[in-house]
Amino acid sequence: MTTKLLFDRIDEPGLSTLDVYQRRGGYESLRKALAMPPEAVLHELEASAIRGRGGAGFQMGKKVSFLPKGGMDKYLVCNADESEPGTFKDRELMQKNPHMLIEGIVIAAHAAGATRSFIYIRGEYVLQADILDAALAEARAAGFVGERILGSDTSLSLVVHRGAGAYICGEETGLLDSLEGKRGNPRLKPPFPANQGLYQGPTLINNVETLATVPTIIRIGGAEYAQLGVETSTGTKLVSVSGHVCRPGNYEIELGIPSREIIYGLAGGPPAGRSVKCWFPGGSSSPVLTGDDLDIPYDFDSMAKAGTMLGSGAIIVVDDSTPILDVALKVAKFYRHESCGKCTPCREGTNWTVKMLERIDSGEATPMDIEIMASVQEHIIGNCLCVLGDAMAMPIGSMIAKFRPEFEAHIEAARARAGRVDVLAAVGSGAAGGGALAGAAAGATTAVAAQGAH
Amino acid sequence: MPRPEHRTITFTIDGLEVQAPENAMLVDAAKLGDVEIPVFCYEPKLGNPVGACRMCLVEIEGIPKLQTGCSTPVKDGMVVHTQSERVKTAQNSVVEFLLVNHPLDCPVCDKGGECPLQDITFGWGLGTSRFIEPKRHFVKPLALSPTIAIDRERCILCYRCVRFSQEIAEDHQLVLLERGAHSYVATFDGHPYVAPFSGNIVELCPVGALTSQPYRFRARPWDIEDAGSVCTLCPAQCNVTLTVRDERVLRVLARENPEVDDGWLCDRGRFAYPRLGGDERVTQPLLRDGGELRPVSWERALDEAATRLSRAGGRVGALAGGGTTNEEGLLLSRLMREALGSPHLDSRPAGRLALELHRALAEPALQAHVPDLEYAHAVLVLDCDPIADAAILDLRLRKGVRRHGMKLVRAGREQLLDAAARDELLDTLLADLRSVAGNEIVVLWHERLAAGADGERAVRALLDLAATLGLAEIDGAGLLEVPAHANGRGLREAGVLPNAGPELGDTDEDGLDAQGIAAAFALGELSCLYLLGVDPPTGGSGTVIAHAAFLTDALREQADVVFPAEAYPEKEGTVTHPDGRLQRVRRAVRHIGETRDEQQVLDALTSRIGLAVPS
Amino acid sequence: MSAVPRDAHSSTAPGWDTPADLEKDPATIPDPATTPVPDALRAEIEGHMALYPNFRSAILPALEAAQRVHGWCAPEAIEQVACVMRLTPAELDAVATFYDMLETTPVGRHSVYVCTNISCSLCGADELYDAIREAAGDDPEFNVRSFECLGACDIAPMASVDGTYVGPLTLDDVPQLLDDIRAGREVLPDKQLARRPCADSGARS
Repeated sequence: MTTKLLFDRIDEPGLSTLDVYQRRGGYESLRKALAMPPEAVLHELEASAIRGRGGAGFQMGKKVSFLPKGGMDKYLVCNADESEPGTFKDRELMQKNPHMLIEGIVIAAHAAGATRSFIYIRGEYVLQADILDAALAEARAAGFVGERILGSDTSLSLVVHRGAGAYICGEETGLLDSLEGKRGNPRLKPPFPANQGLYQGPTLINNVETLATVPTIIRIGGAEYAQLGVETSTGTKLVSVSGHVCRPGNYEIELGIPSREIIYGLAGGPPAGRSVKCWFPGGSSSPVLTGDDLDIPYDFDSMAKAGTMLGSGAIIVVDDSTPILDVALKVAKFYRHESCGKCTPCREGTNWTVKMLERIDSGEATPMDIEIMASVQEHIIGNCLCVLGDAMAMPIGSMIAKFRPEFEAHIEAARARAGRVDVLAAVGSGAAGGGALAGAAAGATTAVAAQGAH
Repeated sequence: MPRPEHRTITFTIDGLEVQAPENAMLVDAAKLGDVEIPVFCYEPKLGNPVGACRMCLVEIEGIPKLQTGCSTPVKDGMVVHTQSERVKTAQNSVVEFLLVNHPLDCPVCDKGGECPLQDITFGWGLGTSRFIEPKRHFVKPLALSPTIAIDRERCILCYRCVRFSQEIAEDHQLVLLERGAHSYVATFDGHPYVAPFSGNIVELCPVGALTSQPYRFRARPWDIEDAGSVCTLCPAQCNVTLTVRDERVLRVLARENPEVDDGWLCDRGRFAYPRLGGDERVTQPLLRDGGELRPVSWERALDEAATRLSRAGGRVGALAGGGTTNEEGLLLSRLMREALGSPHLDSRPAGRLALELHRALAEPALQAHVPDLEYAHAVLVLDCDPIADAAILDLRLRKGVRRHGMKLVRAGREQLLDAAARDELLDTLLADLRSVAGNEIVVLWHERLAAGADGERAVRALLDLAATLGLAEIDGAGLLEVPAHANGRGLREAGVLPNAGPELGDTDEDGLDAQGIAAAFALGELSCLYLLGVDPPTGGSGTVIAHAAFLTDALREQADVVFPAEAYPEKEGTVTHPDGRLQRVRRAVRHIGETRDEQQVLDALTSRIGLAVPS
Repeated sequence: MSAVPRDAHSSTAPGWDTPADLEKDPATIPDPATTPVPDALRAEIEGHMALYPNFRSAILPALEAAQRVHGWCAPEAIEQVACVMRLTPAELDAVATFYDMLETTPVGRHSVYVCTNISCSLCGADELYDAIREAAGDDPEFNVRSFECLGACDIAPMASVDGTYVGPLTLDDVPQLLDDIRAGREVLPDKQLARRPCADSGARS
């Protein structure tokens, strides 16, 4: 059994109240941290080598150390805009153990020298925001947040700020613009938030899970924490497993265990008789892996080596009953809907990709369109203002690369259905998987059969 | 506040070593090596780059990803490639993306031929598109305001127009609505975009999405010629480019001069031209005959005017204003003082100011310039409404506040005049000084401060304030007067004053000022009025001789001789900016009707009256 | 490719084809004298403004508050926020139209967001959405929308009913769901996310 740091007795009744949290030793790490100089707290964070749990996987201690020293107003922003499809770990943490997050924020702010902090929570999380607000009121009343916390020189204000429904606000600079009351358009970087972030001041932005881990790191010590996991992916990680699995949900794992253990061992794998066709290892923005990749260790570097990423730790499993085109179309439509529209390749590229995929589905495409689609993805990757364009182009590109024969078969089947058989001979037949898929594609094309997984 | 200073560095672009100011954006630095990096959203006038269009991607050695040239400051030793395969592919693809929804209606587009999208597609595009889906179509064009039409099909969402509204004009009326590919430029709930500087968005638009209603379908770029001049419709004297076709002005564009207008133009300056070249102009000399003004020949009008002026002699008063040039002012001064022997001339509606005060205000060390408004630590706007008095200065003040944290303080004349309040004002300013940690203060004041019975007292108070703040000793600090007339400063320096000759020199005899001339004419003490670009004051039954481009009601009632005056696009001469800069007004179109060069008219009158015209 | 009428590809976004009404005045910061604001709304907005170092940060909460009062971000609602915050209505409209949860057309009182993103879709969310839409019919009380990932893939397919997450839903749950909303009851209590234990068995010990 994996050590449970974040999920330790998470369902204990009343854990979201200050009473129960404190009875379990809550806010002791804060006392300990406040007794330490900020540099010492920072040292523990650096020693833990914890990498950001939001998606980019940047070392938190380094991020804190990038903040300029000095007396200017500094800000800490907790990114609770959990919007990456397939990700729901922060939701469970905030709902069930809000004080752990608040404690982590106060400790991190102490280390970073921030005096104002915000939790930017997605507007859809009404329950969780209400719980955070209640917990914050308790923490404030108890002197854990506010002026001269626990009699120390450290002061911190904290505001729970609710978003209003925009995936792009999970991108850190889009989040900052949104928090400033603007449209959530990402900003040009540099300058990075550590230098010019919220209200142009130095700003530390971290994910909920990262900040919620901070009390543990202080309690057990950074070095001890670093013993968990593998060398460059230390600690435990919450993974959200969803899609075609029997036991979808959040699991706390030690980084570096085989992916199969998560998908099959913890989440129960696909329903009986089905097999894994492909899976997103880190939310819908990560390039897909296939059933052949289940033995890859689940950690940052192994995933990168496999050409994908750990991202937010959201595993979405797709079984062999689903046409890959449906997956691609869902993903592409999502990113088209969420593109902020600021930069050209993302705005136009997501739109164009959806149109091509729809054309494939309606029998109006030829295999040449696959080439164009692949090339459009290449033209998006690396050329955008932020990573949203890449977030569509990378998984779509990976699907084309790994399931090209199926795309070709889909084109063929859809054309046949639409009565367009004229050029097929010239194009050549789609190869592997064609038979099974022609059947799948001939049915409802965008609807995915209910799996009865629950 | 310190002005930007740059040391020169050397970087390499496409194998060429180029010297450039350090931290200049790559797009600008590249131009110094004759390398063009294409851009759409980049426009330095709009403030910090946004990196939205992605057209300017370049390869920089040592950085794995392509970078936007518009936002990358150039550093010593940087090695940049704009011609590599990677860069070319990126450029091609951005053009392809931009054209996904851009209609190919260039043949009927006003922008065609002068369109950055056309040029960049030609220069950096692949020439083909793989987009075969139907393009989006919308009803077009739509009215955005009475003067601007919007074509949303053509919009490439470069953000320039909305950035102008948010960050330059700060009217916050034009915004992007919706998100992603659905984004579009609009106003709130169908309200028109009406604001003092709205027309600039037409010029900023890199495609034909925003077009000028009056210019729509009037000319193609190959039909037109550009003529640089200076707009003399207000004292701001913005530099303009006049678009001329067949001797008619069809458009007015800003001609960037950072010392004057920063590349912006107000809507009045931009959209007044149809009237300037229109049917209401006076195109022939007019003479009152049987109670009506009737067209007559130039000879007849000149003879009549010369006769009446000679008859009146020393009892002539002259007023000048509007777009009257320095040369015209000098000739008027000569006509009045030397030919007619009358000292009664003025160009300041505010009236007489003691010569010592004129001279004190003109003290060179005390002069502030337009860029000082931007870099000052604080600006005191005194009895002046920039939007109404010299619109473009409003943008400069906003820029100072927004980009440099300049402190803006507004005060009226009463505050300056009331001794107790004056201390309070000084206290406020001094407090501001402490808060901004700098002593560069500019006082932007309007001529009206000096008007009326308290005028001299107000000017003395202003000079006291300047002395208290030590403005004369501080670089970047000083006074900047907005005169009532467009060339008020030039006319003053040309000697169109009752108590000073050219260059504020002494005069033999003190004359009546503007109010004095009006009163004396009403009482019949002056029997003739000579007017250059101003309306006659009410009252009086003497002769009124006027140079006028338009027949106002007052002229229609009172004028006896009217010479058709040139509008500024027809004028040749110089004007003096309120901050002392000499600017040249150049003739862009030929005279309308029988209009003549006004300098020649003044010369002709002078010689008819009997003073030889110097050659 | 089939023949396409010229304007058939217009965006679904309202406004693309609308010209400015030149009879209207420009939309500057509303005049308090002619823009009455309900006292409670004004107080709430001012409360939000006081929370932040820069009052503009209160724009989202203020719009959300105005939407609660007016049912949607109607022009009148936006003008009221603009009046209190001393901003132009256009600035607020730009924000309102950016976010999915701010409604810029009139909608029903009860929102039913059905997640149709990838994980829910794999579990039948598209059919669920169609079924809820059909069952709700043209009842003006309902605002049934297909929504992007709501962050509850563990209860896929799911919906957020006036902010309450319920799932996993089957087609059989649909009548009960709508009845509960109509009757003002708690929605599908047994399927509420709030009562669901953590999937990780190790967390329970």
